[in-house]
Amino acid sequence: MAAGGGGAAVQHNFKQYPSVSLLPSSQSTFRGTKLITSIQYKRKVCQPKGALNVVASGSKKILVMGGTRFIGIFLSRRLVEEGHQVTLFTRGKAPVTQPLPGESDEAYNAFKSKILHLKGDRKDYDFVRTSLKAEGFDVVYDINGREAEEVEPIIDALPNLEQYIYCSSAGVYLKSDLLPHREVDAVDPKSRHKGKLETEALLESKGVNYTSIRPVYIYGPLNYNPVEEWFFHRLKEGRPIPIPNSGLQVTQLGHVKDLAKAFITVLGNEKASKQVYNISGDRYVTFDGLARACAKAGGFPEPEIIHYNPKEFDFGNKKAFPFRDQHFFASVDKAKEELGIIPEYSLVEGLTDSYNLDFGRGTFRKAADFTTDDIILGKSLVLS
Amino acid sequence: MATLVSSSLLSANLSPPPSLSPSISLSSACSLSSSSSISLSHRSLSLSSRKPASYSAFTVKAVASEKKKVLIVNTNSGGHAVIGFYFAKELLGSGHEVTVFTVGDEGSDKMKKPPFTRFSEIVEGGGKIVWGEVDAIGTVLKGLSFDIVLDNNGKDLDTVKPVADWAKSTGVGQFLFISSAGIYKTTDQPPHVEGDTVKADAGHVGVEKYISEVFENWTSFRPQYMIGSGNNKDNEEWFFDRIVRGRPVPIPGSGLQLTNISHVRDLSSMLTKAVENPNAASGRILNCVGDRAVTLDGFAKLCAKAAGLPVEIVHYDPKSVGIDARKAFPYRSVHFYAEPRAAKDILGWTSTTNLPEDLKERYEEYVKIGRDKKDIKFDIDDKILESLKAPVAV
Repeated sequence: MAAGGGGAAVQHNFKQYPSVSLLPSSQSTFRGTKLITSIQYKRKVCQPKGALNVVASGSKKILVMGGTRFIGIFLSRRLVEEGHQVTLFTRGKAPVTQPLPGESDEAYNAFKSKILHLKGDRKDYDFVRTSLKAEGFDVVYDINGREAEEVEPIIDALPNLEQYIYCSSAGVYLKSDLLPHREVDAVDPKSRHKGKLETEALLESKGVNYTSIRPVYIYGPLNYNPVEEWFFHRLKEGRPIPIPNSGLQVTQLGHVKDLAKAFITVLGNEKASKQVYNISGDRYVTFDGLARACAKAGGFPEPEIIHYNPKEFDFGNKKAFPFRDQHFFASVDKAKEELGIIPEYSLVEGLTDSYNLDFGRGTFRKAADFTTDDIILGKSLVLS
Repeated sequence: MATLVSSSLLSANLSPPPSLSPSISLSSACSLSSSSSISLSHRSLSLSSRKPASYSAFTVKAVASEKKKVLIVNTNSGGHAVIGFYFAKELLGSGHEVTVFTVGDEGSDKMKKPPFTRFSEIVEGGGKIVWGEVDAIGTVLKGLSFDIVLDNNGKDLDTVKPVADWAKSTGVGQFLFISSAGIYKTTDQPPHVEGDTVKADAGHVGVEKYISEVFENWTSFRPQYMIGSGNNKDNEEWFFDRIVRGRPVPIPGSGLQLTNISHVRDLSSMLTKAVENPNAASGRILNCVGDRAVTLDGFAKLCAKAAGLPVEIVHYDPKSVGIDARKAFPYRSVHFYAEPRAAKDILGWTSTTNLPEDLKERYEEYVKIGRDKKDIKFDIDDKILESLKAPVAV
């Protein structure tokens, strides 16, 4: 039983590291329609071109900052499957473990029995220092870090840390007319994500063996950011999809399971040392195209798309559309070339997975709110 | 690529950093060993150009025994004309033998425009130029044989078949074709990637199919738009014309459309890579573009920046104005965006297009030849601007 008890104690019952190769194979781990073979065996397969992968096959003591909401849920499962000892550091607001849609009881219980929980507030830096120092971890996955100062106590507490794997964001790139964004491109020190930039800089300056992953828009079952959910709500109600301006803005979605896989691939990988990687889908998509892809995924008819000029409306503090109104996409060539990371889900496949395992079952994070839609549609009705 | 060869030859397949001149030829390694002994599938270990510069550059001229005899069948007009010019010069620089078969008449008016006005540079480099019609190619080139033929002329089977058939009959070992990225079907999910669906009725598609049946070793290159000195068709000049005269730049649609505008040296270097890595390139389709897209608005702004002048962009809907956007504007007004994934993956090719820098050079030449002072009519522009002034009907 995963430690869920109150207070700051860490369960010590699971200090023995299970040996790596013993886990059963071909479990359909929450893949829905996709069946995957055990990751153990995948490790031995020659990586696609470019990956001189020095695989660290030994089991590690891993700390995940976060891990109970979205990315971390998928990542921590894979880490446990790989035979690592995984501790999730969270405040405990979300349940430490929850069964995934489509996950067998057997798989869930196997996971639940192995995952460890360290309850605390990562902003309580003294607590972070002492508790981490007491435990000692080989690797840290920082999934929810926002500011550089949050990272310092972790690094200070773990002088023998083998690797710090950070979930950054492609939002750090400076807006440009020349696209896609590449890892070598200029970043924007004034962006909303400057905390991520400062964290990357801190990791670099401290000489830590870090790897920073920059996703674009993440999607998939359990997404708490209303990305695909925003479209699904409207499609379900047979409502038109209001898209700002031309609908030609190009963006990019990356499936959470591909992201989790990427996080696994960089673990113990020498090539990834002190490197930054864009991780997202293999193709980009226009806003209009995304509406159509969501419709396909959910088996809805072709949507009616309404374009509008956002400047003509006052939405108050409500967001009328879930994406930045600009081109925003990044090349994933570097991860592909250097580490052999190839996204598995195409956009429609991935959206179908998300629909089948989440929205299509009646679950979602944010209730439908068509206030801004009605403002837009109301005005259109008046004019026509 | 050459994973099993000794290190000195190993390094030769890397593209040198952008500042250096044409890529080093690996022809010695590729042709000495039989292709089967070196794993040249796209999954073999390819040394990325991001490796540290211990492989730093030295330009190697091809060893005399590896010289290839290359024939370039070149169109006499249009955006692609300049490709043959750069390719010829790059091959000559690498020590290969080059003949350019220019379609048409030596004395025609078409020869009075670049790049043809600079073909003497090819001759000075040791190349040969001949003129003729493709139907008579066998006669014009009687007695001559080539290792490699590039068809940079035909857009359909009618124009390419005579060249392909003649090449096959004279034992040409490698056939290269300049196709077009315009054959990709439009998509909601850019970019166009090699292997994506193409428009079945496109002339180039028919050609690709034919050469794949006729030749064991063929490669098709799908380019988009090019800038570069010697270009035959206006690209950046269209923007400079307006910017330098303080005229607004009318762009159809939102201006957000993405397109590929590459320096022609990128196309030339990709072709050269194929010549020097025939086994890797065999049977491949390669998007022949740089690896950055630019928005239409963005390109206008870059042109203005290169000129050191302000720019006013106005957007319009061609249908409402009642004009044909193809006549009014040099680029397609939809997203037209391909990525050179196959070339990078399979040939280890890298792009050196740098629009901000390249456009500076282009602007300098634009002014040097006095085009900024030229008297140009802007009839279509004026029509567009007039219609934008008219009150919008509610």
